Amino acid sequence: MISDLDAQKTAKALILTLDGEEVAFEPGETIYEVAERHRREIPTLCYDERLEAFGACRLCIVEVEGIRNPVASCTTKAAEGMIVKTKTDTIEKHRKTLLELVASENRSVDVNQLSGYASQELKILVDRYDARTGRFAGKKSGTSNTKDKNPFILRDYDNCISCYRCVRVCAEREGDYAINVMNRGFNTQIITEFNNDLRDSECTFCGQCVQTCPTGALGDRKALRDSDTEGEIRKTRTICPYCGVGCSVDMLSKGDKIVGVQPAMDGPANEGALCIKGQFAFDFIQNADRLKKPMIRREDGELHECEWEEALDFAAAGFAKVRDKFGRHSVYGIASGRAPHEAAYTMQKYIRATYGTNYIDNCSRA
Amino acid sequence: MPRQSNDELITRWKDEPAPLLPLLHAFHNRDGWISEESIRAVSKGLKIPLAELFGTVTFYHHFSREKPGKSAPRVCTGNVCCLHGGNELLESLKSEGATAMPCAGRCDDMIPVIIDDKAFVGLTKETLVHRATPMPVPNPGGVTECVFSKIREEGRATLEGYRSSGGYRGLEKALAATPQDVIDAVSESKLAGRGGAGFPTGVKWKAVADAPGDPKCIVCNADEGEPGCFKDRTLMDHDPFAVIEGMTLAAFATGAPLGFIYLRYEYPETEAILENAIKDARANGLLGENILGSGLTFDLYVRRGAGAYICGEEGSLLNSLEGKHPFPRNKPPFPVTHGFNDKPTAVNNVETLASVPHIIANGAAWYRDLGLGENAGTKVISLSGDVQRPGNYEIPIGLPLQTLLNDWAGGPLPGRSFQAVTMAGLSGGFLGGENLNITLDDPCIKSKGSFLGAGGIMVFDDSRNMVDAAHDAMEFYAHESCGKCFPCRIGTQRMTERLNGSTPKLTKEEWLAEMNDIGSTMKSTSACGLGMAAPHVTESLMRYFPEQIEAHLNGEA
Repeated sequence: MISDLDAQKTAKALILTLDGEEVAFEPGETIYEVAERHRREIPTLCYDERLEAFGACRLCIVEVEGIRNPVASCTTKAAEGMIVKTKTDTIEKHRKTLLELVASENRSVDVNQLSGYASQELKILVDRYDARTGRFAGKKSGTSNTKDKNPFILRDYDNCISCYRCVRVCAEREGDYAINVMNRGFNTQIITEFNNDLRDSECTFCGQCVQTCPTGALGDRKALRDSDTEGEIRKTRTICPYCGVGCSVDMLSKGDKIVGVQPAMDGPANEGALCIKGQFAFDFIQNADRLKKPMIRREDGELHECEWEEALDFAAAGFAKVRDKFGRHSVYGIASGRAPHEAAYTMQKYIRATYGTNYIDNCSRA
Repeated sequence: MPRQSNDELITRWKDEPAPLLPLLHAFHNRDGWISEESIRAVSKGLKIPLAELFGTVTFYHHFSREKPGKSAPRVCTGNVCCLHGGNELLESLKSEGATAMPCAGRCDDMIPVIIDDKAFVGLTKETLVHRATPMPVPNPGGVTECVFSKIREEGRATLEGYRSSGGYRGLEKALAATPQDVIDAVSESKLAGRGGAGFPTGVKWKAVADAPGDPKCIVCNADEGEPGCFKDRTLMDHDPFAVIEGMTLAAFATGAPLGFIYLRYEYPETEAILENAIKDARANGLLGENILGSGLTFDLYVRRGAGAYICGEEGSLLNSLEGKHPFPRNKPPFPVTHGFNDKPTAVNNVETLASVPHIIANGAAWYRDLGLGENAGTKVISLSGDVQRPGNYEIPIGLPLQTLLNDWAGGPLPGRSFQAVTMAGLSGGFLGGENLNITLDDPCIKSKGSFLGAGGIMVFDDSRNMVDAAHDAMEFYAHESCGKCFPCRIGTQRMTERLNGSTPKLTKEEWLAEMNDIGSTMKSTSACGLGMAAPHVTESLMRYFPEQIEAHLNGEA
């Protein structure tokens, strides 16, 4: 009797030949995944590893012996004995032509880095393939949606290359299905239902479309406010403080100024996802009106700054007074949804032990 | 009939197989256009996200999203209709809200104009008539035919007439044998996909029969979107039961209980003919449960497309049936294992399916021997353009092109000579010069860099400007490119611009280099057949007509 484990051990490893080198792969892996693992720099524009492979940009084509045309490595499963070449002269020529074609449909390949996480992908590839040749000149594709005045997402479709990463991330990752593609061929255009503004759609302004856009056609309007601010962009990895999920983010700053937020693609809790608050609601950090010290309303009816010690004593006295006068059920605790488990636990302990009531809740339950 | 409410329409369709297209048509028919309110109702009724549904509706050329909508004339401006004055007819009908439509598959007749659910034909606004699809003329070569062998018999389009002219003999014979026997016979006949791809039908059916997963499905591809092809229309209009019997044989062979005919929008009368035929077959125990008392179950539904050439590509077709955005699917997996609803599916062309009853009734060897020389079987050629007698001709595969053009179809128009023909509708590009002396079989045609495909041949005589012809062809591809893969989406647009001179001035060397580079990349890297085939037009233009390109670049008419 051979157990499954034994069978696995004795099963022959799957092998393919990658640019002359024999490499092992797991069942179900695509050629692209195998090649990436072996540090082949295969260019892509429609690929986002978090999304189902789509096969639109065709830049990831590779030659497979026995197949007449090159295949898109992102959508082709690796198979035992395959002989794959990732970088022949013919393949590189096609890639350059494709990039020249893409460059020809856009108003510009150079966009501000603050546009979004992936916004430099097209520019980097066009430069790597020396594809700023001006060949294939003709009509530009896409129409910038300037009437959409939402404060978060710039919809500059003059720079759209119809890779549909935004549409796919919205459906596959966020589950909003807020945007899709209208028309066909060269007239395709990313739209919401009935081509309205984002705020009239199912969009939750999570910003994931912005961050996966490889051309800056979708841009982070809040970050772009600081396009002209002096200084290099610095990225600081931190955790979003808004709720207990713990999304990893990179705070973008120029000098001492926080200018934007990008989700960490390798954040274990979020894998590149954020919500509207984590993505766009960071202005409070450096807002002049932000409270920096506790305040007490004194007998003159005005708020006065004080030290934490005094503030806590003042609050404790107030709670004690209410309890003594109205009884233990006069206090009702609501823990913040942004509090992690430990803090929420402490909160209920505080309410139960201090007041002797079970009136404890969490705002996430509402 | 009183106007049906949104809810009534949704209730009518939502539990039917493949409900989106018929439901959208129901709204389109009711109102004459598809309003925002209708899209919202369908989105809710079928639980399709609103933005996705809106995007999908906009994909289809023939769904009107504004008034006058469906009743406004749609005038064919396909390649052949352009030769006959399609653009002028369109202009004269503009006051009635007319718009252009790509080749509507009636190139053997006058220019088709679709108004509501009627396809009229005519050369001027005043002389439009509504009449039946032309019947193929008796075989001019006197050779034995397969799919056309009975089509001209009186009453063949009725169930009674079909049965009295030998119809359902094949199915009766098959039901007395085994599914494997049917697959063997189809394999031995060497029947191959007549929609253009030429994949061996027996191999496809065997793969579906062997694939795990239920329910399996038979899809008849009646999208016939290839310009210059109008054979499937003739077969369905004049011999609808042959298609139904062919599908039933496919169902028996593969074990599929479910079938669809995916019919192009431009054939409204055909839809009624097929629906009636299916109703009659069902009423007479030839569809549904326990067919002919054999225990076989197979039911069949017509689904009407809405104007998208790409929906003739099987992945797009299946997505369209499933109510998804009709982009082609990545292959593998292929439909034989992952087709309709990801179940094993045989997608076969109308002509392929209509051949099968004859093959089963008369035997594999009979069909195989109909071809000339090494070639097996027959092919319907849709011949159109500058030739005396355009029409559908069923030829033995291997027939010389000149025999078809001169002996069968009467040669060029008076005082003219043949300059070029297209192959595979448009997808094979042009043939000209010496290469007009080919035989009509793939080994020969492929050696000239083209292919027979779905069998559409458009003829251009010496009065025609071939750059204009190539432009009209490429404009069609640009109009029909789905917009998914980059080389096709951008390439067809750039080639069109270079053929109509709308680009900045290019030197001849630059023009040729750009066209060659785009063409080569499209052929090698496009995700489906549309983008791979489109460059045949420009490649063959450069091969056969360099002097006309030179004149084009010099700004000469």
